[in-house]
Amino acid sequence: MKLIKYGKVFSTQLLAKKIKNPRTWLVLLAKEQVAGYGRKGAVWFSPKGGLYFSIILPKSKIEDLQTLTILAAFVVAKMVKENFNLEPLIKLPNDIFISGKKIAGILTENVVGKDVKLSVIGIGLNTNIEKFPKDLENIATSLKIELGKRVNNEKILKEIIKGLKEQLKTISE
Amino acid sequence: MKLKLKIKGKEYEIEISESKEGEVKINVGGKEFVFGKDEEKEKVLIAKPTFPKRDFSKKEIKAPITGVISEIFVKEGYYVKKNQKLLLLSAMKMENEIVSDFEGRVEKILIKKDQKVKGGETLIVLR
Repeated sequence: MKLIKYGKVFSTQLLAKKIKNPRTWLVLLAKEQVAGYGRKGAVWFSPKGGLYFSIILPKSKIEDLQTLTILAAFVVAKMVKENFNLEPLIKLPNDIFISGKKIAGILTENVVGKDVKLSVIGIGLNTNIEKFPKDLENIATSLKIELGKRVNNEKILKEIIKGLKEQLKTISE
Repeated sequence: MKLKLKIKGKEYEIEISESKEGEVKINVGGKEFVFGKDEEKEKVLIAKPTFPKRDFSKKEIKAPITGVISEIFVKEGYYVKKNQKLLLLSAMKMENEIVSDFEGRVEKILIKKDQKVKGGETLIVLR
């Protein structure tokens, strides 16, 4: 796995899509995003403390990518449950909630011509976010808020990527 | 049979006909060339074409997967380059940027924003 760390970026998804001939499983990690986004351009609140990354996926069949997006939610939820003893709820296919509040979102973007030219999966996980703005505090939460302590972002990142690789191997076989 | 050919911006009117004697007449821009079955009445020097082979058939952009068209970035008449982003197709919460596999002019857009499409359905025709 090759990891590129950024400080403040517009969006790791945008960065990933701009790289020419990116290598598979390249991970772009940002400390902060000023224009993090989800589906249909919905804003993803991305202050310092959270875990925001995009991964260049291997070129796969579009049906497999569809499955992988769903499996990514399971990978993230499993990691949260097993490491932090929390009860995550997956809102299929790509949002994860804890206590009725959103803690993670997943977005897969493909560039498709005759075949899939590029696939990028972006994951935003609210890890060490201490406080949300008023308009989000009733609908969003973080591991820090739920656990009352900080978590290790890099360890979580590695575990998610390991899980994704395993899942993709399974569905591509 | 009459046809028009555009080569490097210059238009050529070509008429092909066959006489009763079985000769083939080809008229290019008023200049006539007559070909018999085994002979040529006027030798025509034809330079080895250097321009690339062009495909005049329809170029269709199809939906790779069933979903909803969430954005259209081109209009009919637009000239698009290869790999240019044409539209956004949302499917199972994946966003798919559909890019052109061809270079050409957008002849027909067969879909509208927010329209549901099936995998394999033709979305845009280029020429």
